[in-house]
Amino acid sequence: MRYMLIHTVDPDLAPSSPEEQRDAWDLFSSWVDELDAAGGGLHGSRLRPPEDATTVKIRDGKLIVTDGPYAETKEQIGGYDVLECAGLDEAVRWASKHPHARMGSVEVRAFPAGAPAGPLPEPGAGKIRYMMLVCTDPAVDPGVFDHMEPVDPWVAETDSRGIRVFGSELEPPGAARTVRVRQDRAIVTDGPFAETKEQIAGFDLLDCADLDEAIEIAARHPMARGGILEVRPLWPH
Amino acid sequence: MTSVVGTVVADAFRQEWGRITAALIHQTGDWDLAEECAQEAFTQALRRWPRDGVPNRPGAWLMTVARNGAIDRLRRSSTYRAKVEELAVMATRETETDNPEPGADDSGVPDERLRLIFTCCHPALAMETRIALTLRTLTGLSTAEIARAFLVPEATMAKRLVRAKRKIAHARIPYRVPSASALPQRVPGVLAVLYLVFNEGYSASAGDDLIRRDLCDRAVALTQVLAELLPEEPEAKGLLALMLFHRARQAARVNDRGDLVTLEDQDRTRWDQAQIELARRHLEDALVARQPGQYQIQAAIAGCHVAAPTAQATDWPRIARLYQHLADMTGSPVVELNRAVAVAMADGPAAGLALLQRLEADGALAGYYLLPATRADFLRRLGRNTEAATAYQEAAALAGTGPERRFLNARLAEVRSRHT
Repeated sequence: MRYMLIHTVDPDLAPSSPEEQRDAWDLFSSWVDELDAAGGGLHGSRLRPPEDATTVKIRDGKLIVTDGPYAETKEQIGGYDVLECAGLDEAVRWASKHPHARMGSVEVRAFPAGAPAGPLPEPGAGKIRYMMLVCTDPAVDPGVFDHMEPVDPWVAETDSRGIRVFGSELEPPGAARTVRVRQDRAIVTDGPFAETKEQIAGFDLLDCADLDEAIEIAARHPMARGGILEVRPLWPH
Repeated sequence: MTSVVGTVVADAFRQEWGRITAALIHQTGDWDLAEECAQEAFTQALRRWPRDGVPNRPGAWLMTVARNGAIDRLRRSSTYRAKVEELAVMATRETETDNPEPGADDSGVPDERLRLIFTCCHPALAMETRIALTLRTLTGLSTAEIARAFLVPEATMAKRLVRAKRKIAHARIPYRVPSASALPQRVPGVLAVLYLVFNEGYSASAGDDLIRRDLCDRAVALTQVLAELLPEEPEAKGLLALMLFHRARQAARVNDRGDLVTLEDQDRTRWDQAQIELARRHLEDALVARQPGQYQIQAAIAGCHVAAPTAQATDWPRIARLYQHLADMTGSPVVELNRAVAVAMADGPAAGLALLQRLEADGALAGYYLLPATRADFLRRLGRNTEAATAYQEAAALAGTGPERRFLNARLAEVRSRHT
């Protein structure tokens, strides 16, 4: 079964000294090695910080683009991993060993059954990869959902144009588990990493020439009207 | 150095800074490098022009020096070799041209400022960031000057500018003028930035100086550039007209004590008729396109005010109708408030009060001092002095600047001295 790990950082706990940063890096390296040896890691990446995020939504037919992430949370999203595991417990175990569990939290969210697989190609020449987080927004008029288009045409078009590299709906936030490790103790809570009104419902990885293209693609997603989309560049190695 | 040369350099700075940074950012993709090389060119001008004389084409001189400086710096970095060649090719092409491109200055370089202004005003940047970046790169105001104008510490403003450039690089905000199809959507964002800068200069949000001429002038100059470079956008001309109508009244807005003088009390002989005439022409040009917009309507309203030889002669019913159009277009509660003021002038304060009651029930303007201030004014005119006093107190407590607060307190004293 496939799981998404959403890594967050608590600014108060982020590694600050060079030693702390090195320790975090070492922990991360061994995590990756262990995961590779177990064969469970599919792909993952660091994300640029929330200051580099852009939010896209359409309200009353108007495109609204704003600076910043989909919600202001104390713990800030900093990366993700996609794992193949036997079950939720195994995914949670992997999450607890990740350095982000110590410097923030790791939210574990299942992919619905039948989610696509596949290694990811590198972005093409002149393209950069963005993470598009698809989020619910309870402030949206319920009437919008009566006329909302299905997402399949958007998926098909962006897939065929080589824009969409990977993506999926995720199980609802209520089914998530969030892991934090404090003083070497793993604390697992039910639910997402933050109780914000807006919640992550899914994501897509998009290869685009620039932010304008990414915004244009995001604006065509049905959830631009039905929710909020956050477009954030991946942090290249 | 003679003060004449100093003035020439200062003028050249105002005229050319934006052009030079825009061209260098386009050619090198490096915002910091562009600023540094532009700065260096002006430093060199200050050193060499007193000695060698002011060049015939100051803009070309500065652009050449700035570009050569950029080439030098890039040459030292191996990863930019391709860019260096590109720059050198551009330099050769320009010295050979006899027919400069449209919009080109005396250096023959096409005006890249449009790219720069759309990038600085990109919606993916926070409004305060757009303002800071626009002022820094297009007007050459220093970080310290911008910080002072917006009442933030210099370190904060410096950080804001660094973050802006980082986001542009990391998120890959493209350095270009939006496509023809995207342009209509992006122009309002640019105009909003320019209008915010103008308003910051026109009415300070805190402190005792009511007018900060420099910010106003910079906003006007940039809007002028935008209107010239985007002749198909009537709202750019509309905004320019609006700013000029406002600025034309500058000399009459504040009395010798630094107190605010309301429109009805202003000495209209102190209004700058040349600016008013220029504003009218821009507005007429805009209206020819028959694409009404909020700045054109606001300019028309301002035009109505300045057309009246005396306050009593003001065509209030027309102004009220224009505010109605604007309210329909924007749905803005501030516009509704202004409409209430116009209606009160056209039909009496009781009519204005009725409109205010609707606004107050809405709650959209809670905390905005002009709402109780307007209510106070209507009540005062109706002779309901006790109620007016309460409202003036409420307004004064919310008001920001010294002159505005002083004005409200003066009115408060006035209604208190009467008996209801």
